[in-house]
Amino acid sequence: MNAVLNKSMNHLAPLVAYGAIIYSAFLFAAQTQAREHLLGALDNETLLNCENLYWSGQSLEANACYLSIVRTVNPPEIQAEAMWALGDLYTADELLEQAAQLSPDNAMVLVRTGELYNRTFQYQDAYNFFNQALALEPDNAWAHIGAAEALSSGNNGEEINAHMEAAQSHFAAPSGARLRSMIMSINSVMERDIYDEARNMLDQAWDLVEDEGLPSMQLNALEAALAFVTRRTDEVQHYIDAALEEAPPYGDAYAIPGYFASITRRYSESGEFYQKAVEIEPNSWNAHLELGQNYLRLNQIDAGIRHIEISYEGDGFNPKTLNMMRLLDTFTENFVDLTFPNPPEGDGIPELVLRLDRNEVDVLTPYAQELAESSMAVFEERYNFPAKEPVIVEIFPNHEDFVVRSIGMPGVGILGVTFGYLFAMDSPTGHPNETYHWGTTLWHEMAHVYTVEASEHGVPRWYSEGISVYEEWNTGPIPGIKIPGYVLNFMAEGAFLPVAELDDGFMRPTYDEQVIVSYMQAGLIFQFISEEYGHDKIIDMLYQFVEGTDEVTAIETALNISDSEFDRHFKQYVDIQFGPLLNNLPIWQQDLQTTLQEFDAGNWEEAIAAADRAIFTFPDYVEQDSPYIAKALAHSQLEQDDLKFETLETFWQLGGYSARALKELADEYIARGQKTEAIKVFRDVHYADPFDETTHGKLGDIYIELDQPAAALQEYLVGLALNPLDQATANYRIASAYKALNEPAQSMGYLMTALDIAPQFRPAQQLLLELSRTEN
Amino acid sequence: MRIILVFSAILMSSVSLSAQAELYVTIVQGLGGEPTFEENFHTQSQTIAEASASLTDADKITFFNGDDATRENLLRHFSTQSAIMDVDDRAAIYLIGHGGFDGEEYKFNIPGIDITTDDILNVMDSFPGQNHFLLNTSSTSGALLEPLANENRILVTATRNGNEKNATFFGEYFVEALSSEDADLNKNNNISIEEAFGFAQRQVEEYFESQGQLATEHPELTGNGAAQFTIARINQVAISTENPRIAELQEQNLEIDRQIESLQLRRTELSNEDYIEQLQALILQSARINEEIDQLTRE
Repeated sequence: MNAVLNKSMNHLAPLVAYGAIIYSAFLFAAQTQAREHLLGALDNETLLNCENLYWSGQSLEANACYLSIVRTVNPPEIQAEAMWALGDLYTADELLEQAAQLSPDNAMVLVRTGELYNRTFQYQDAYNFFNQALALEPDNAWAHIGAAEALSSGNNGEEINAHMEAAQSHFAAPSGARLRSMIMSINSVMERDIYDEARNMLDQAWDLVEDEGLPSMQLNALEAALAFVTRRTDEVQHYIDAALEEAPPYGDAYAIPGYFASITRRYSESGEFYQKAVEIEPNSWNAHLELGQNYLRLNQIDAGIRHIEISYEGDGFNPKTLNMMRLLDTFTENFVDLTFPNPPEGDGIPELVLRLDRNEVDVLTPYAQELAESSMAVFEERYNFPAKEPVIVEIFPNHEDFVVRSIGMPGVGILGVTFGYLFAMDSPTGHPNETYHWGTTLWHEMAHVYTVEASEHGVPRWYSEGISVYEEWNTGPIPGIKIPGYVLNFMAEGAFLPVAELDDGFMRPTYDEQVIVSYMQAGLIFQFISEEYGHDKIIDMLYQFVEGTDEVTAIETALNISDSEFDRHFKQYVDIQFGPLLNNLPIWQQDLQTTLQEFDAGNWEEAIAAADRAIFTFPDYVEQDSPYIAKALAHSQLEQDDLKFETLETFWQLGGYSARALKELADEYIARGQKTEAIKVFRDVHYADPFDETTHGKLGDIYIELDQPAAALQEYLVGLALNPLDQATANYRIASAYKALNEPAQSMGYLMTALDIAPQFRPAQQLLLELSRTEN
Repeated sequence: MRIILVFSAILMSSVSLSAQAELYVTIVQGLGGEPTFEENFHTQSQTIAEASASLTDADKITFFNGDDATRENLLRHFSTQSAIMDVDDRAAIYLIGHGGFDGEEYKFNIPGIDITTDDILNVMDSFPGQNHFLLNTSSTSGALLEPLANENRILVTATRNGNEKNATFFGEYFVEALSSEDADLNKNNNISIEEAFGFAQRQVEEYFESQGQLATEHPELTGNGAAQFTIARINQVAISTENPRIAELQEQNLEIDRQIESLQLRRTELSNEDYIEQLQALILQSARINEEIDQLTRE
């Protein structure tokens, strides 16, 4: 028995439930839907006649042709194909099930059922059907290709390769199946930016097409895509035209280059391709979705919503569409835009837009604005690139909303994504623990804006990521080279990739930690270039990517050495910088472990001793499991306040960002009368944990003491926005700041709110007396 | 051991009970099972007893612990108490300890036979008048909410239902509120049930958040009158017996407090402008009085 097509919401759903009556009504309104060319997978002449009509652009005739198949006596598997072509996937599914019951040995019925399930994103069911087909016909090339496609939604590289190999190598494999298999392979190598190999494979595919007389529109679309990604832009349209000449309704002639434009982060051009794709093929629901996502990335929100809704109306199977629809509800209802400067200067166009959740806007705005504006100024100067459009910063309190906004599907552990002048990132509330420093993420993503836009979206992934990490370390809110402990293990094992292959570490990781290892390697590469060749060389290389130069050539041109020479020098740099540590890594890790074990056992003296040894080996290590934290806490247990303070101070000065540790340090500074230092620490806390009302209150109080009421007011307003339990104090603090700013009316408003809550609140009563005497 | 506590009487700057009304406080320290729990429960119970001493006469505060905290003794005590209570009087019962819920019945763990939902319901129902208060800090204590539900009865439980079975932190924070200025949100030097609950609830949330753990307890407060029911006083100010002028000013301040309370109750009858104007005038008077008291005190 067939699995049942799942569709959470769709206007076609009642067709199955109510059977023949609605079935007729549907046929009256049916229109041929976009689907892939059969490439000879089926040989029913009546069906192929309909297919030919469709692909030759005679859509009305094709429609009538498919309808006639449904209305006349035909095998159920052929009727299923007609219903599929007419867009009724449920009935197609039922008919295929009937066909399977009538012809249990017909492998192609199972293959086509699998294809239908692949098209409806139900890959596990699809895979099962292909396997059933392969049980009947182990060499069925179509089944192998279908199984490979079903598996490609997961992470099953070896099994995919085995199926692809089986499809391509068997002597009896139909030429259409071999072509489809080659097209999948070309897509795969192009997704990995291996354009030379794609070129070779395309040439082989062209030979096959010409020898066997197969349709060539898919190859032309891939040629267009390859021309686009290799910056042969004047050739793109030629290939698209050739595809459309052969198959006028073939929207993928544009959608395929659109896809490759999108994955190479050229969203503007991608949108243009997809726009043309939906003009040619209005029923290409996936193209509408991609177009909608592209519009959202380009900050054309209304247009984005429109196309995603069209996609949803047409195809409720696509989980990406469903996710996007759910996101749009949040996006349109919960988010507000704030523009800066306000009002805009000069041409009236703002430089910065913060798009924040309503519940977080009052808390995050001052710090996000300050960080965004300062990072923009830094990057403009360091990369000789003034932003040409407003930079839009979206901060999501819900991590899954952020991921869906970024890539369409939830469940991915990313923190920020930059599309160009717009980037999206997680709010600190999306990560309720101490490991997330949102200020650094904002800084990192803002660096992407400048590298991506300065290179006109031509910068390789590793290059852009490397600069962002390098900027985190050198100009970010918590400067200092920060390498997670587990990455050191990989460094000790020599896991860094040659620079020419570094993109693979991001795009096609071969082990779980490789993406982070690659981030660190890329950051260190720019640290190395900056120290050995100067920061200007980084800029020189960046601007070479505008012309489509590859990284190897860019290195050769800017640094005057080959990439292999560069790798050798870089290794020497890493050996010099980290060699002593990496050689002693097991000892350091043992000391770190001992620190935590002794601490957990309450052996404070032993914990401190082990922490001191770990710090001696690696003094710059200030991650969340830093020995400084355990050491400070152990000193605290022993009531060694000065040692605790010194430990926390060193931790902070080295770039430690544990909010709890920093709050302790700030309190120590206050107790010691070092208010300026306390301010600096509290401000650092904001970039890790801005949702602690106590911090804002304490910082505001220091500002008041230092006669900086405007700064105090900002902190107090944020404190009130956090809806503190003690509303009276929060309102009183604001009133006192306004009083200090000589704004008595504002002061009185907040003061009376405080006194309404707490009439006997003595400091507030005192302020009321002062205000009333000033009035008189 | 049953302890009757004796503490000195302190000025009540805001009176929640009517002039003749009495407050009857009963504290039951349940079985701890382990020394740490025993110690914690005892400290919490003692603190409640001390806080209550600022609100009512010592002979109206009863503290059951150890072998005395049996079902028989408790039921006898409550029977006697309800017999002498007036309709204007209020009862406050604090159950500090462990509890269990088997899906049908909640039990608070004491030596011998535990007290059950029905026992507690019968006790609460036996009191004349309304707005009596029950605090139960045990795990699963939320199982009491439904059977005891009554809008004229104030219930505070450490959990929201009978399924939250982990040992709770709520009681510790609730008791901390009784002497915390941070819990005194209206700065009147009184801690109401609502204030103590809000303080403890926030602390529980912060605790679990700081540990990066899902909260295993969600405190609940039901019933009317929690904001008006004072359960502790902090920074108590005694009416001066040495300086008659200060005593007079303190009395005036109490009168102004009553006027403010009355104004706040009539808030919906006034425009916002009128309300703020009248409130401001009253608080200004109070502020001037306090200023004069401070001056006289300094002299």
